[in-house]
Amino acid sequence: MKAIGGTAGDLPGAPPAKAMRRAPAARRIVDALRSSEEQLWRWTARVAVVLPLAALVFAITVLAIKAYPAIIVNGWSFLTGSSWTYGSSYGATVHTHGVAHPMGSSFGAWPLILGTIQTSAVAVVIALPISIGAAFALTERLPRWVSQPLGFAVELLAGFPSVIIGLWGILTFGPFLARHVYPHIADHMPDVPVLRYFRNPVGHGEGLLTAGIVLALMIVPIITATTRDLFGQIPPLPKEGGEALGMTDWEVARRISLRWVRSGIIGATVLGLGRALGETIAVVMITGSILHVAPNIYSPMTTIAATILTQLDGALTDGTGFAVATLAELALVLAVISVAVNLVARFIVKRSGRLGGPVGRA
Amino acid sequence: MTPEEQPIKPSPPVEIASGPPSRALDPVLAALDPDRARPAHVMESKALKLSFGAKTILDDIEMRFTRGTITALIGPTGSGKSTFLRTLNRMNDKVVGFSHQGDVTLDNQSIWEPNQDLLTLRRRVGMLFQRPNPFPMSIGDNVVAGVKAHRIAKGKQLDVVAERRLREVGLWDAVKDRLGDSPFRLSGGQQQLLCLARALAVGPEVLLLDEPTSALDPISTEMVEGLVRELTPALTIIIVTHNLGQARRVSDGTMFFYDGKLIEHGTTSQMFDDPRCEQTQNYVTGRMG
Repeated sequence: MKAIGGTAGDLPGAPPAKAMRRAPAARRIVDALRSSEEQLWRWTARVAVVLPLAALVFAITVLAIKAYPAIIVNGWSFLTGSSWTYGSSYGATVHTHGVAHPMGSSFGAWPLILGTIQTSAVAVVIALPISIGAAFALTERLPRWVSQPLGFAVELLAGFPSVIIGLWGILTFGPFLARHVYPHIADHMPDVPVLRYFRNPVGHGEGLLTAGIVLALMIVPIITATTRDLFGQIPPLPKEGGEALGMTDWEVARRISLRWVRSGIIGATVLGLGRALGETIAVVMITGSILHVAPNIYSPMTTIAATILTQLDGALTDGTGFAVATLAELALVLAVISVAVNLVARFIVKRSGRLGGPVGRA
Repeated sequence: MTPEEQPIKPSPPVEIASGPPSRALDPVLAALDPDRARPAHVMESKALKLSFGAKTILDDIEMRFTRGTITALIGPTGSGKSTFLRTLNRMNDKVVGFSHQGDVTLDNQSIWEPNQDLLTLRRRVGMLFQRPNPFPMSIGDNVVAGVKAHRIAKGKQLDVVAERRLREVGLWDAVKDRLGDSPFRLSGGQQQLLCLARALAVGPEVLLLDEPTSALDPISTEMVEGLVRELTPALTIIIVTHNLGQARRVSDGTMFFYDGKLIEHGTTSQMFDDPRCEQTQNYVTGRMG
């Protein structure tokens, strides 16, 4: 131990005094290196923040340019009409508002827009309670040696290829539902306004309800995994407070845990809804791809994403390019629906998040 | 326990935590006391042994809590006082590995008896925690959360309950114009008072306080302490505290825990001024902590 009163460099554990008195030139080089590193870091961050946004703007702009002729010709009736005819590719080409298109072509996307909203709505209505229940069981109810492998399985399912689920849905699941489940529902529904939609005929398992259920299976893992992480972040004290007040486990879950993470669950639901809206291949396989408004909940129908996929081949044969432009317009509509869903979710979060729990505090 | 110490009998005058003298001595007040037909000791622990797995936390705790008094539980960290407190409303039951021997009674009925309803037990034995823990709902809903759960009141009555309890804890004037707001914007002290109002709203008989002021500033601490004193003798209060000054200021009786054992208990003045055990002497004078 050295005597008290030496220089700073002499203290035990401190760097040798020599390093503290480095030559000014070397110090300048080090400083320059550090500040250039800082510049590099700043620019990387700036580029990284702009790039995804730029890509999105670029994609939508290209889509809008491609769709422009179709928007002019189809007009507003594109959103409300129900006819879908390419016209005669052998007949004369006609010009409307200066845009060339085959004679007799007429496009109305209402059945597709409605079908997209219907399948996604069915999927979310089924998936949300299941996901919240599963997430709750994983965090609160099951022992660790069960919940950990189960949680891993759920995460695995979240990235499962949809073509496999679609194939299973059409070969096994759909026929099973049509034979053993749907008749029980359909036979007991009274002939009153809303429930009338659930009455016979139940079909063969290709249709709106099957598609909704299969989509629900696909988004349950997404919502469950996110919600499970949210539940894990709730501090224990508010829950203990509820228990100490004499609330049942169900009341603690409903009045405290769920409210604590309400805005997060809405976010998770929008993630799932995004997948349901855009899901293509499984929907193509299960919906039956019929271009009409479904007369009941079991009947075949189709969605925007599925139609773009199934019609693209045929559209490319249209020499005027008008059919492709129409599909681009359809894609634009889907993009607008997705953005609208996100905006609505944001609004709900803003309204309900006001009383939610602060994250990261007890 | 010897036979002459049966809990039904009125407590002898030297017993720790005996009730306020006015009630014990004045026959008129005693006759008016709504609790007169009930056991003088609202809660008792009999040969209580608590363990987590193979580890024994507390052993052989014999304690009686007289109705309408304040008892302070003091002792160094890890001495088992919080575990004891949390056993009294069965908050430990769900902890993995927790087991108990012996018994705890509420009005002479075991809290672990099969026909003792857990939800009712927790309504009768309320709790306030180390840190404020408001629920993620509006201030007004927070106060009546327990009332709603127990179906004690509904509709317009809830507003009345909320106002009364908020007035009781002195928070009404501060929050009356923002009952619909989030409680998380209140100060720490206000949040703790809100939690106290919430605990009081279900009408408990015993209130367990687990270091209720350890996260609060001195002024809020003083407010909570004042309230705690005002709540007796309508309520029986058991308070865990690391603050010896607080134990001395608010409590009638004191229990000193050390290393999983109840070393000594007695009236607060006796415990602080004339303790029987050397360990107690060392702890209350600050030589050990």
